[in-house]
Amino acid sequence: MKKYISLLAAAGLAASPLLAQDAEWETEGLTDDAITIGVMGPFSGNASSYSKALIGMMAYYDKVNEEGGVHGRKLVAVQEDTACDSAKGLAAAKKLISQDEVFMLQGNSCSGVALALRPTIEEAGLPWIVAHAVSDSISDPLAGNIFHGVPTGRANGRAMAAFVLSKPDTSNVAIIEHSNDWAHSYSNPARDYLEENGVAPSLELTMERGQTDATAQVLKLRQEKPDFIIAALYEAETAIFLRDLKKYGMGDVPVMGTAGTDLENTLKRTGDFDTVKNYYVIHSYVDNLDGPLMQPWGEMIHKYYPDEELSTFSFVSIGSAEALVSALEAVGPELTRSKLMAALEEVRDFDTGILSDPITWTADDHQGVKGSAVAGFVDGEPTVLKAWGQPY
Amino acid sequence: MSQIMPSARQRKTRTLLFWAVPAVLLLLPLTTNPYTQFIANGMLVSVLVTLGFTLTIGNLGQLAFANTAFFGIGAYSSAILAAKLGVPWLLTIPLAGAFGALGGFLASAAALRGIRTYYLAIITLAFGELMRWAYLHAKPLTGGTDGMPMPRETLLGISLTDDTLKFYIFLAVTVLLVKATLNLMRSHFGRAVMAVRENEIATASLAIPTARVILVTFMWSGFVVGCAGALFARHVGHVFPESFGMLHLIASFAMVLVGGLGSVLGAVLGAVLLTALPEYLRAFPGMEELFFGLIVAGVLVAMPMGLASLLRRVSPIFVERFYREAP
Repeated sequence: MKKYISLLAAAGLAASPLLAQDAEWETEGLTDDAITIGVMGPFSGNASSYSKALIGMMAYYDKVNEEGGVHGRKLVAVQEDTACDSAKGLAAAKKLISQDEVFMLQGNSCSGVALALRPTIEEAGLPWIVAHAVSDSISDPLAGNIFHGVPTGRANGRAMAAFVLSKPDTSNVAIIEHSNDWAHSYSNPARDYLEENGVAPSLELTMERGQTDATAQVLKLRQEKPDFIIAALYEAETAIFLRDLKKYGMGDVPVMGTAGTDLENTLKRTGDFDTVKNYYVIHSYVDNLDGPLMQPWGEMIHKYYPDEELSTFSFVSIGSAEALVSALEAVGPELTRSKLMAALEEVRDFDTGILSDPITWTADDHQGVKGSAVAGFVDGEPTVLKAWGQPY
Repeated sequence: MSQIMPSARQRKTRTLLFWAVPAVLLLLPLTTNPYTQFIANGMLVSVLVTLGFTLTIGNLGQLAFANTAFFGIGAYSSAILAAKLGVPWLLTIPLAGAFGALGGFLASAAALRGIRTYYLAIITLAFGELMRWAYLHAKPLTGGTDGMPMPRETLLGISLTDDTLKFYIFLAVTVLLVKATLNLMRSHFGRAVMAVRENEIATASLAIPTARVILVTFMWSGFVVGCAGALFARHVGHVFPESFGMLHLIASFAMVLVGGLGSVLGAVLGAVLLTALPEYLRAFPGMEELFFGLIVAGVLVAMPMGLASLLRRVSPIFVERFYREAP
């Protein structure tokens, strides 16, 4: 018996540094008055305009801090530049994790960088909330510490098809897209959704980037007479396509576009309201950017970042920041990384008041936002829609 | 050549120094954290990229910008061999080098046709862009815009995600290739390379097969940079087409110039400095690009022949026989 007790004691002694190490890891980046959060984004380089996507989140941290923080702890952001480059992004992640020893990570534009970071962050095990990048592969297959806080490409593609089928008597759907992965990330889930609902696309066309004429595609569409067209095209090509649709008498056929196009920008490009009157786009928010529901968020951003020129990107990360704060509050003052991840997995139907769809994270699914609203012109005014003819 | 050449004793010191540096570097992981270790690994990759680049542009004197193409070919070869065919990553390094050498063979075709200066520059730039187009569109093989993740692998029971293990492998490959390149450039062949740079017609009149010299230099450059590509694939763990675009080419070119065009020592110095510099400049968010540009311009204005010229002034042991100082 004595021998077993000695063995047990020896094992306990041997394990104690490991336990201490675990406890230390659990609260790394945490003090009595601060939670350090590593925020990675493209703050330099060609894609630096995407860094606007982190402004909303940072402003929300400032708002929470001004109101006293979470259980007395301020949210302290440590920013690192990824320059939208995988090697630089990895360096940023390793710096934040091993040198700055942040408690958690939130942010990231540029899906390619986020994909490259995934193995490193998964191995490090600290919580990571992806607040802008949309590639499904960042959070699928499931990684215990990676949470997606914006609609993924799959969610957007399916939302496009759902909107198309919400128009009564829609059975003939055509798809026009670029032949690149960006377009496929929208069109493939849309195609899957259509087929799940018994609708096979009647015509599938491609329009290459840089093409300045869509006559050939439009003439084929005119023969097919579709009820709805799904267009996975960049904004410049969308404008050309819509112009040619009107030119050949198809201006009344509704067209569903991606989140890569903006309704009013497309109107500016075509300069003719008739070309966009039946154009609809994915819109992740509850209201138009200048609508009353978005106004408080815009004011919040301007309070902390007075020079910020608001765009669609400025608001995209606020929802996930709200969900984080809600989970931090739920954990209570005895915060650890494991407790936070467990609390994030308990977030259900969390209404952010800004994203059109709620956030739900479960133990089996960390892709929190499953849908998106649609924006289109109704009676000449840009309007956010839940489904065909149903304002949000 | 205006430099004082090193004496026999100084050459001996130089050899000792060459082996002492990597020997000291073996202790580096004792002083690093995962972040600084990652940066050190990136420096070793950059050393090989810059070395391969300076061979064609500095030593051979050809305005060829196919370097990024060789790098991409090496990285994708390694990723495809490891992920699709299950070849252990270590074995993919020489194979990636071989594919890089094949790229060098293709790129040399333009030079062998007598195309020179700006025309060669444009053709080799186009070669790089063509390769990038192939990475983007050969999706079943390359993963398209999503790129290719490197498979998880262990070596001697240690995961190849471990930056310390990677460091020792990268260091061994880098030392081997730098030494091989130095030996090559000090050989009869290296003198032929220099002669082609100085005067191709005069070199041919001496019965030196200039076409073969150009071909082999391009292929060796492709081999070195191809091996660097394989290291890069494991370094980042995921290969993307964007990593092999114009920005990478400009960064490599800056490393060659800052280090010293045509100098092996310069390739090492330029790569180390310009890989480390952006990391130091993280302390100035929003100003990194400005400071980076100013520092690079400052170095080139103060030392037009690069950092290597500074060391040559300090001691003759840093003089490279195959290197030509500015007139």
